[in-house]
Amino acid sequence: MTRVPQTTPSRRRAGRIALNAGLVMFIVLYAAIVLFQPTYLEPGLFMNFLRRAAPLVILACGQLYVILTGGFDLSMGAVATLVVLAASILINGDPEITWAVIGVLYGMGIAVGLMNGLVVAFLKVPSIITTLGTMLLVNGLALAWSGGAARGDLPDNFRNLGRLVWRDVPGLGTLPVAVVVLVGFVTLAWFGLNGTVYGKRALAVGDNPRASELAGAPVAATRIIAFVVSAVSAVTAGILLGGFSGVSVNAGEGLELQAIAACVIGGAQLLGGRGSIWSATFGALSLFALFTLLNLLGLPQAFRDSIQGVILIAAVAVTAWRRRRRT
Amino acid sequence: MTVSPALSMTGISKAFPGVRALDGVDFECVAGEVHAICGENGAGKSTLMKILGGSYRPDAGTIEVAGRAIHFTHPRQAAEMGIAIIHQELSLLPHRSVTENIFMGREIVRRGFLDKAAMHRKAALLLKRIGAEIDPRTLVSSLSIALQQLVEIAKALLLDARILVMDEPTAALDERDSRTLLALVSTLRREGVAIVYISHRMPEVTAIADRITILKDGRKVWTRRADSAPVTEIVRAMVGRDLKEFYPPAPVSPPGKVLLAVAGGNNAALDEIAFEVRAGEIIGVAGLEDSGKGALASALVGDAPFAGGTMMLGGKPTALRTPRQATAAGIGYLPGDRKREGLALRQSVRDNALLTLRSMAGLFTRPFKGALGNAKIDETLRTMDVRAADFGQEIGTLSGGNQQKAIIVRWLEQASQILVFVEPTRGIDIAAKAAIYETMRSFADSGRGIVVVSSDMPELIGIADRVIVMHQGRISGSVARGAGEEDIMNLALGLSGPALGRTVA
Repeated sequence: MTRVPQTTPSRRRAGRIALNAGLVMFIVLYAAIVLFQPTYLEPGLFMNFLRRAAPLVILACGQLYVILTGGFDLSMGAVATLVVLAASILINGDPEITWAVIGVLYGMGIAVGLMNGLVVAFLKVPSIITTLGTMLLVNGLALAWSGGAARGDLPDNFRNLGRLVWRDVPGLGTLPVAVVVLVGFVTLAWFGLNGTVYGKRALAVGDNPRASELAGAPVAATRIIAFVVSAVSAVTAGILLGGFSGVSVNAGEGLELQAIAACVIGGAQLLGGRGSIWSATFGALSLFALFTLLNLLGLPQAFRDSIQGVILIAAVAVTAWRRRRRT
Repeated sequence: MTVSPALSMTGISKAFPGVRALDGVDFECVAGEVHAICGENGAGKSTLMKILGGSYRPDAGTIEVAGRAIHFTHPRQAAEMGIAIIHQELSLLPHRSVTENIFMGREIVRRGFLDKAAMHRKAALLLKRIGAEIDPRTLVSSLSIALQQLVEIAKALLLDARILVMDEPTAALDERDSRTLLALVSTLRREGVAIVYISHRMPEVTAIADRITILKDGRKVWTRRADSAPVTEIVRAMVGRDLKEFYPPAPVSPPGKVLLAVAGGNNAALDEIAFEVRAGEIIGVAGLEDSGKGALASALVGDAPFAGGTMMLGGKPTALRTPRQATAAGIGYLPGDRKREGLALRQSVRDNALLTLRSMAGLFTRPFKGALGNAKIDETLRTMDVRAADFGQEIGTLSGGNQQKAIIVRWLEQASQILVFVEPTRGIDIAAKAAIYETMRSFADSGRGIVVVSSDMPELIGIADRVIVMHQGRISGSVARGAGEEDIMNLALGLSGPALGRTVA
């Protein structure tokens, strides 16, 4: 560029601050963890940290798509639960059909995402209500199907996606499969937002759907795609969760709210129009680092929900304050 | 003048990061006077009024109201001192009744209960005083913009406002309602209210103002009595140069082939619409507020489509049911309410200019390449003279004129054949207006067509090659270039029938 801009470009600056805020917060929190437990500096333990954080990061990336377009997806936790229960029922101990079942799981997820998207786009039901309904519906179906209690076991080849760790990988030492899935998913999500016109469309639709429609944007399709991506991320996270913790009827409980919190902490704006894949990724890593820290401090599990609430409010307040100061 | 001014602001300065918004501005307004403030966008008018209203605190300078120095820290204090500001964007609650809005925060209470009867009575009195025929029980959302504005004024009068600031009060009004409003301003002046009047419309300012103050780049240029300030001098002071040729000249060559032809078009708001747009033509659409001129624009761009009739685009019958279809067919829409319908305010200038191109591209098109790349769009934005420190900055920070230019770029990039403008220069300063008119003319001269819907009569007469006039959802006639405001007004009021007025349709 030969032109010298007179002032710093405010939008790009905002993006950079958001990136830095999430990243800085993560580094600070991780440093605090290391202070208590220096072993976390070892590559092996860092990889393990990433492995356990993978489902939340993946969910946050999916949720980000919906948040950018100006909505919420509250049904992702329920979809993750459904995935775990359905996998155990469908596979039923037969490792031969694992991959086919995974295909079916993605099919179910896409169906849920399509339903959310179609209802929001065409029936004009606010997404918070639509996905709340879907959450109850999917949870109920999953419970009824499983008979109210977890049954069956997941075969090793399914569980390995979440828990297998390759050892002696050159340059890295250990490498969990979940981390490969994590990097792959974040890369794809990044490509979707930055490598195609979809990302800019989503931002415009989230910022002002009416203006976007009048400018010729396919508003309905943009919204539907966001819900489908979100549901696909929930299926992916569900598969990893099944590997970690086995079959349970509350495998995905509360994850949707954690994913929303992660996006917001990372700097994405609720109701759309601002945010990047990095806000979701580093927001989720920060949140997970916080959970880990609270565990190390020996605080009761219940406490972390309260802290999460406080952080969420603080994150939104700080964003709002910064924006007000700029005007 | 020996009267002590109702309002006097002395040496007001205010700086924002990087911008000196006001620099030692003096301003005063006496009771029973209309004092107009003119200036381009960004001249500091709004900042000055926000300081008066208590929204901003000045860096330097003093404010005196009725001879008493005051320091506001909150807008409510300004209201209590009898300062009422009526903003361009109205601040009424749409789902509440007129009475509830007028008494918002100041409800009459008897024995702990709202005294609705008393409030309705008092509201009716206030409305009567300003000559508004509104039932105080109706919901605000069911009122036209013009009537809502009157409610806003009634609300100000409830507080017994001694100083009334009106920020572009006629921007959203058509000719007839504007006249009513100006009559009301005269009434209030007779009652001894000091009125600060901000407007871009020169005829209004010269008609209503007793004194005129010009602001430019945060400084006061001069304050003069209105009778010693002809429009040419006002304009020169505002823009710092003469605007000899404000409207571009008429085209030399006759219009070409028919681009768009509508016959028998109707829907809920429109009836028997028939007209055509030829290559090289700018067609104006005039009419009063609910005449259907807005509905015509919506129908052309597929937002509220025609239900019946035929529409031919380039000779081929076409049905446009969504804005996306209209966009694909080569029709671009530039809405009057840019903030609500035209812009994604938190996105960059570039993103807004590229919105349509990106929307029409295939989903997996790579952004940032070719026509979607920064270099190409920056080039076009520079050609259009969109002024921004950086095209990556949020478009919400730009002036109205630059925002409108960015929207024009959006449709130029899409290579649209027909542009539908609604109120193309609403809230846009004079210099940018001239640039937008010039762009419109050269767009048409390159063999494309424009339909421009406007409430600004001089604008239509100046820019359009032909003006079609609407009345109650129908085209009541059309006038050729060179016709006067009277001709259009008669058609708009339905005074001369279709048979009389229709020349070319």
